[in-house]
Amino acid sequence: MFIEKLFEKAKKAGISDVQVFLNNMNELSIEVFEGHLEKYEISDSSSMVIRGIYQGKMGTYSTEIMDEELIDTIVSTIIESAKIIDSPDEAVIYAGDSKYEELTDLFNEELKSMDVAKKIEKVKNLDALFHAADPHVSIVETMYAEQTKTVMLQNTKGLKLFNKVNSSMLGGQVIVKSESDQRTGFDLIITNDFNDYHNEEFSKKVVGDAVKTLGAKPIPSGNYEIVFDRDALGVLLSAFSGIFSAEAVQKGMSLLKGKLGSTIGSDLVTLVDDPFMKKSSRSRSFDDEGVATKYKELIKSGVLTTFLHNLNTAKKDNVTSTGNGFGGSVSAVNLGLLPGSHSKDELIKMIKNGIYVTDVQGAHAGANSVSGDFSLQAMGFLVKDGVIGVPVALITVAGNFIKLLQDIEAVGNDVKTGYYGITCPSIKVGPMVVAGL
Amino acid sequence: MLLDKHLLEKIIETALATGGDFAEVYCEETVSGSIQTVGGLVEKANSRKIVGVGVRIAHKLQSVYGFSNSKNPEDLLKLASDLSKSFTDETKTKPTKLGELEVGKKHRVKISPLDVKQSEKVEMLKKAYKAAKAYDEVIQQVMVNLTEWVQTVLIANSEGRYVTEDRTRIRIGINAIAGKDGMMQTGYEAPGTGKGYEYFMEDVNLEDIARDAARIAKTMLFADECPSGVMPVVIDNEFGGVIFHEACGHSLEATSVAKNASVFCGKLNQQVASAIVTAIDDGTIENGWGSANFDDEGYPQQRRVLIENGILKSYMVDKLNSRRMEHQPTGSSRRESYRYSPTSRMSNTFIDNGTSTFDEIIASTEYGLYAAKMGGGSVNPGSGDFNFAVSEGYIIRNGKIAEPVRGASLVGNGAEILWKIDMIANNLDRARGMCGSASGSIPADVGQPTLRVSSITVGGKKGAK
Repeated sequence: MFIEKLFEKAKKAGISDVQVFLNNMNELSIEVFEGHLEKYEISDSSSMVIRGIYQGKMGTYSTEIMDEELIDTIVSTIIESAKIIDSPDEAVIYAGDSKYEELTDLFNEELKSMDVAKKIEKVKNLDALFHAADPHVSIVETMYAEQTKTVMLQNTKGLKLFNKVNSSMLGGQVIVKSESDQRTGFDLIITNDFNDYHNEEFSKKVVGDAVKTLGAKPIPSGNYEIVFDRDALGVLLSAFSGIFSAEAVQKGMSLLKGKLGSTIGSDLVTLVDDPFMKKSSRSRSFDDEGVATKYKELIKSGVLTTFLHNLNTAKKDNVTSTGNGFGGSVSAVNLGLLPGSHSKDELIKMIKNGIYVTDVQGAHAGANSVSGDFSLQAMGFLVKDGVIGVPVALITVAGNFIKLLQDIEAVGNDVKTGYYGITCPSIKVGPMVVAGL
Repeated sequence: MLLDKHLLEKIIETALATGGDFAEVYCEETVSGSIQTVGGLVEKANSRKIVGVGVRIAHKLQSVYGFSNSKNPEDLLKLASDLSKSFTDETKTKPTKLGELEVGKKHRVKISPLDVKQSEKVEMLKKAYKAAKAYDEVIQQVMVNLTEWVQTVLIANSEGRYVTEDRTRIRIGINAIAGKDGMMQTGYEAPGTGKGYEYFMEDVNLEDIARDAARIAKTMLFADECPSGVMPVVIDNEFGGVIFHEACGHSLEATSVAKNASVFCGKLNQQVASAIVTAIDDGTIENGWGSANFDDEGYPQQRRVLIENGILKSYMVDKLNSRRMEHQPTGSSRRESYRYSPTSRMSNTFIDNGTSTFDEIIASTEYGLYAAKMGGGSVNPGSGDFNFAVSEGYIIRNGKIAEPVRGASLVGNGAEILWKIDMIANNLDRARGMCGSASGSIPADVGQPTLRVSSITVGGKKGAK
């Protein structure tokens, strides 16, 4: 009723086309500390983005309440915001595509309906296993979070689309202590299938990895060959994912401007955006503008093949939208670097004198997506003649993202989807500048 | 108004029915707006209305939280009842009746964002654009964005707290991009205020600030890569204070201290910093970016001396974490919105004035890095290891500021760096930041006078000198 009334009043006020994008989130989160349930949160909330075209310009209003009383405010605010827009961009509300991919595995009813007590048990079990995994473990925070996300798009061009996904993550942070040092370990498993949680194996890996970093120290500054672990690479790729947006390119804010069709990376590099990826809560058959999403290669064997587009940027470049219009801007859905043939051990064995980087920090500030330059805090292990040595901390690894893509010498086969939503394997690159002692 | 007193009392009563010992209702109504300009043209304008209610119940060390967009009494009572099911205790806590509504009277604004025409705001942004663009021919692109909000909160709890206040924030981000021969560098300034539009009319000159963003972009375009290695670093005032915020501030929040997860645990009244360091977190500064009348548990915001002459004096503590600590709450509980349960957070955090001058500090540094503008950073409170980006840097050579360098980052350990501060100037100033942590993204001021860290690892692409 709300939507019909809104459409009707908007039309009367002279708004030529209107679209509503409704987002409903049902969330649960559980935190266990020292064996006890410490925090338990539940919520069910909605938000709606309303976009309307007034005299050829797009006005926007967002709200979390759908009171009919609010409709007049929505209509007048859309007109007011459309009036101040003076960029020549043509506003479009989309009539729809002929075909949308059928996505079947994104909502798992079994996960949603499972008894909360079972979920709490699973978190407590993981918490206990973290504590028991090693005598160095001192503090553990274990958490579980689950969300069901329903989006609905409806517009006055007759388009009506619906998408429902759920996902959960289970993991935690452990602090390990020795007499002279304190280090942390952290990991999460993100899935929508509760059977993917193997607490025993997972807890051993998180704690084991953390204990190995005890006593980590800086090493002398210099040039070192690097293997980026998949988690560390995920952070880097996430920091630079914005450079593939045609919006950034058109505004002169991407270092990829003018590079379409040219070789920008090693031929081992194939970077894709897969909006249909299973068990990803970001997967969608349509974007926020109602355009059908599609699988695409952004970089194919080192060659830049396409930018990501929404309706607006596509029009400017005289191409069709790639279905990447999200949140009023342009972004990838599930970015992924395709795996190569090497195991992680093989990658490490290729290092003569270098560092196996397990973690990088500070990408939100230390990575400049306009210039491509980065200088990031890193942790890992010294590697000599293929053999892993002492743990390393408080160093920085500096470089340029494009140079990094060119310097990739080998790609691992150990793909994983990380916390930042990037799916990638570990990689081996040539020497990079490391600052330490 | 948001919810009536009778309903609030009923929600609290329902929340405590199963034995919870503390209940709280947080109601929020926020009107926010944003305008984005690219190349001097308005590309996007968005208005947003946020309305919601969060209910929290605690029992000893456990807490449950839930929120809803609904204002419907049945929905909210059901939420409280659902949440209360987590607890079963024979001992019941009787809530204190709510008294008179206490209205926050500090931090008033003269010209509310709600009373300024969109066209006037656009004009301001365009002036800033023009100033930055005209700065130099290498300035290829300028984006000027406005974000503003007026948040009204109403907080009631089972201890009889019943408070409300309006919180206004306005911020304008200016991003200038300088380019030449395929190279691009950026300069960024983002003035903001807890005042109204009077701030941009009376207190600062937006065009000067825009030119400064352009100046940084141009300077960095022609700068050499930063050398790497361990060296003294002079960090300038204002946003330079991000170093204390990240390196130490987060580790002094009860969020990590209460769980014994901070490197500063058990160090109260012990020396944790060089004796010239005094650090303060003050949520009461008039119209400060991180100020408020009340914290998000409804208790008065406070001025907290964290470190005095090198001695650790206080942590920042919220009500629930105080139960794990032998430490009174310090009015430090904050949250982004009703979508988050609150926890201890910083407000306006700064290192206090010292006795040196800027010139003395530079003159007494033979070789090192002068970090004129800092970017952001992050810390792992568990190990204390932190990192920052330097967005405008220069080499100091023979006691003088020499050539500019770009791409520098600083890494170190929070517990160690405090001991290495060996000179502090007398030019304390603060700058705006957005701090992201457990209870969401909140406005927080950082600040310091110019100071020197005797040795820290500088990362850059040029390699060791």
